[in-house]
Amino acid sequence: MTGHISLHLSQHVKRCLVILFKSLPSVLLLGSLLGAEKTTLHLWHPMPAPSRAVLNDLVAEYESLHPDISVHLLYKENEEVRMAYMSATGFTEGGPDLLYGPSDFTGALVEMKIVKPLEQFFTEDELSAFDPKGLTWYQGHLYQIGDELGNHLALVYNKRLFAEVGLNRPPESLQEMIEFGKKLTMDKDGDGVIDQYGLVWNFTEPFFFMPFYASYGGWVMDEDQNPTLNNEAAVNAFKFVRDMRDVHGIIPIECDYDIADSRFNTGAAGMLINGAWSWAKYMDSPDVDFGLAVLPINDETGLYPAPMIATKGYYMNPYLNGEREKQVVELMKFLTGADAQFQYASRLATIPTRLEVRERPQIATDPVIMTSIEQVSRGRAMPISPQMRAIWDAMRPAYQNVLGGSMTPEEGAAYQQELAEQKVAELFEGQDIDRDAVNISAILVYLGGLILVIWALFKLVVAFILPLVRGIPGVQVQESRFGVLMVVPAALFIFGVVVYPFFYNLVISFSNMGLTTVNDWQIIGLAQYGKVLTDSQFYHFFLRTVIWTVVNVVLHVIFGVMLALLLNRPLPGKGLIRVLLILPWAVPSYITALTWRGMFNIDYGAVNIILNKFFGIEPISWLIDPTNAFIATIITNVWLGIPFMMIIALGGLQSIPQELYEAASIDGATAWQQFRKITLPLLKPVMIPAITLGIVWTFNNINVVWLVSNGGQPGDQTHILVSFVYRAAFNLYRYGYAAAFSFMIFLMLALFSVKFMQKNKATETAY
Amino acid sequence: MKKTSYLQYFMIYAALLMAVAWSIYPILRVITISIRPGDNLLTESLSIIPEDWTFDNYVTLFTDHPFGTWIWNSILVTATVMLTGVTLASTAGYALSRFRFPGREASLFSLLVTQMFPATMLLLPLFIMLSSLHLINTYLGLIVIYSSTALPFCVWSMKGYYDTIPYSLEEAARIDGASRFMAFYKIILPLASPALVITALFSFMSAWTEYIVAAQVLWYKEMFTLPIGLKSFQANMTTEWGLYAAGAMIVSLPAIALFLFLTKYLIGGLTLGSVKG
Repeated sequence: MTGHISLHLSQHVKRCLVILFKSLPSVLLLGSLLGAEKTTLHLWHPMPAPSRAVLNDLVAEYESLHPDISVHLLYKENEEVRMAYMSATGFTEGGPDLLYGPSDFTGALVEMKIVKPLEQFFTEDELSAFDPKGLTWYQGHLYQIGDELGNHLALVYNKRLFAEVGLNRPPESLQEMIEFGKKLTMDKDGDGVIDQYGLVWNFTEPFFFMPFYASYGGWVMDEDQNPTLNNEAAVNAFKFVRDMRDVHGIIPIECDYDIADSRFNTGAAGMLINGAWSWAKYMDSPDVDFGLAVLPINDETGLYPAPMIATKGYYMNPYLNGEREKQVVELMKFLTGADAQFQYASRLATIPTRLEVRERPQIATDPVIMTSIEQVSRGRAMPISPQMRAIWDAMRPAYQNVLGGSMTPEEGAAYQQELAEQKVAELFEGQDIDRDAVNISAILVYLGGLILVIWALFKLVVAFILPLVRGIPGVQVQESRFGVLMVVPAALFIFGVVVYPFFYNLVISFSNMGLTTVNDWQIIGLAQYGKVLTDSQFYHFFLRTVIWTVVNVVLHVIFGVMLALLLNRPLPGKGLIRVLLILPWAVPSYITALTWRGMFNIDYGAVNIILNKFFGIEPISWLIDPTNAFIATIITNVWLGIPFMMIIALGGLQSIPQELYEAASIDGATAWQQFRKITLPLLKPVMIPAITLGIVWTFNNINVVWLVSNGGQPGDQTHILVSFVYRAAFNLYRYGYAAAFSFMIFLMLALFSVKFMQKNKATETAY
Repeated sequence: MKKTSYLQYFMIYAALLMAVAWSIYPILRVITISIRPGDNLLTESLSIIPEDWTFDNYVTLFTDHPFGTWIWNSILVTATVMLTGVTLASTAGYALSRFRFPGREASLFSLLVTQMFPATMLLLPLFIMLSSLHLINTYLGLIVIYSSTALPFCVWSMKGYYDTIPYSLEEAARIDGASRFMAFYKIILPLASPALVITALFSFMSAWTEYIVAAQVLWYKEMFTLPIGLKSFQANMTTEWGLYAAGAMIVSLPAIALFLFLTKYLIGGLTLGSVKG
């Protein structure tokens, strides 16, 4: 009985939420609003700039063939396009008509039921024109039509640098690759720093590790999608990669994607392992005489390294129907048609999915495409089930820990298996709830919610409505109306925006919402909170976040106030100095944070060079060692935050009457006494709100941590709470868990602020 | 105050110069990337101006991309946010500083509370809300969200500054027959100009460089604000570094101009002392 009531309640509340914010027909497909008879079709894609140029041309051609259609393209980065499509299509039944992306989107899109099966739109003849690898089937349905087989890694080499050391062909085995690498690694100007490396590649990412793993006979999952990461192959492949750096010295100590890319592109590295998406850039580079080869055979096992291959192609919005659906199918057929694929292949050397295009003379004889096809034939298809994301998330920290030296290869292999199993379980958590079971927690949640709402309404009436009608005790009605009316507009603005998202998260935090339960989630009580609080990582990251916040805010305030004091006096040229000091606030942090990451590079980052030149300190590996990486993020954030506090302090100093200092001087007070007794107390009312908010913002500042540590590297050890929850929510779709986690963050901050403000009497006035 | 000696001047300048060097060096690196040909984020060279420097990236921004449109869009959105922020914060801050109504403490605190929930988790419900209110692909949605993000700090900062201004000033004005609002508008507001500057700068900056919400709300390239336009040069493994850095520098210019213009008034409040004494 109770079960029924709670189920009914749960359905009811959900329906209310849905009706509240979905009832109006979605207008996300804005074509009609633009007024013209033209139909606007939307296509979202993550294509890099060179492919984007081809796509633009194709769309222009299509529009001239179909004057009644206009196609609107929107570029977003790979992960962002996936997230944006999921929000728009999964949560509002809107979104673009077509989504372009790699085949590994498939599993999650199908689980969330936001992609349309396509087999109904194609005849068997039409489908047989494609390479079967170019069509993505999942659980018996066709979900993606590919126009390119891509993302596979291969060996790029610089023929010019090869010729300089007397080499005229790419290596044919991994051993030979190491030999060649040693020849190519050199210190050209004799200053003791190696300035040309034999081989560079993004060895921090497990995607780039996969070919080696496969060459020792390993693969990420078995037929039942269970992770298979703890084995001999993993141990050997870890050792192999580590030895290339530590024993053979042919790759730099620190080498992420951008370092590898920059080095090879400027002719400072002989070989590069990189994916099909990147080759066009190197073909155009003045410093590179471009050569492409398959990843050479592993002499120990006789196996070829097998890179992962992803089909890239189109997915269709499931909410399409009628005439529009026909138009979209036609557009999709055009974009995956033979002529379109020929355009991509001839301009960018991609591998077409249509077999006939591969046989056209211009394509069939292209040396890059030929090598590329050979490499693909040695590769393996990237798994498209959602488990793959969990496996990446498990491999990344283990792999980085092995390379960073904090784990042996054996420990790393065991760790990644354990982590992968845990994360796969998390991915599917919540779907095994017994929907008919007695659900007292749900009733409690609703009761609690009801009480909360009533309490909030009561408070609102007492705070605003009563003073408006009857006036504040002891103040004229007119006066108090004036006061309330001054506050209300701002309050409406702020709370109008915040209230719904806040309660949405509150409801979700009591639910089992996750990948498989996006559309039929259910209230399950406090289980998610339990998970958060019993996870030892929560406390670990909490401690780290506290350190992060305290160090940052203390330094922001000290330096900010100090600079403000120095500037708050007649000083020639201070206008200029003030603006130069404010610059870190004015330049967008998403580029300066990345610049700081570059400055922390071990070999040629400015930080190490300066430390070495002026203080004689040996190079520090800022980004590989977890503690140093954390310090690096702090330094960056201190840099970013000082100007804000300086401005606040400058403003605050203006409110201090000069006469107070004069009087104090006459009384013989020292500068320090004046600072303690006059400046500090009078600065406080202005600084306390800024400091309180500074603490809140720093506590929740995900951007800097994310950018400087490249998403928590090394090994997910530089996270603070918010970046950790971000990873959980958006990599593994654990919406319920992430909401509960966020509420814990929220509660901690709220409690802290109450105490902090009371202690500093921030709501009281100084006079 | 005692006269500053030459030695003191020397020390002050030395300290300030060190601070300046620390603050601008990373930005010089960004400039370097923006004038370096060939899309490389990193080089081993420490020189600020590369040998083969070029302004191509800056030119490309305007010839191959609707960068001018994006600047205009951004100015439109940001100016509105700034105006809203300053107006609403200066009034609300005043009331919260001068009146003692029952919900005052709670209001002040709940302003802070809105900043405490991790913003990334608010995105999805915000998006759902905006799309059902038909505010996707409009600037209105963006402006409302930006204003509401900037306001809590602005209100607090205004309130904090009003707190340092003695009641006696407006009481004098009231005795002279000014209405409550006139006393606020004519007497208190001008005295609070440093706080107004901070409020304006803060609301400007929070709207000017924001891209996460904007990327959710705006779907048309022609409607982009600068930061999302800028983000379209950036991708996980295929960033066009030259354009990205050049764009970032251009994004900073209006911000710097505004700083230059407004910081004059930040110091303008100096006359305050004599009024108060």
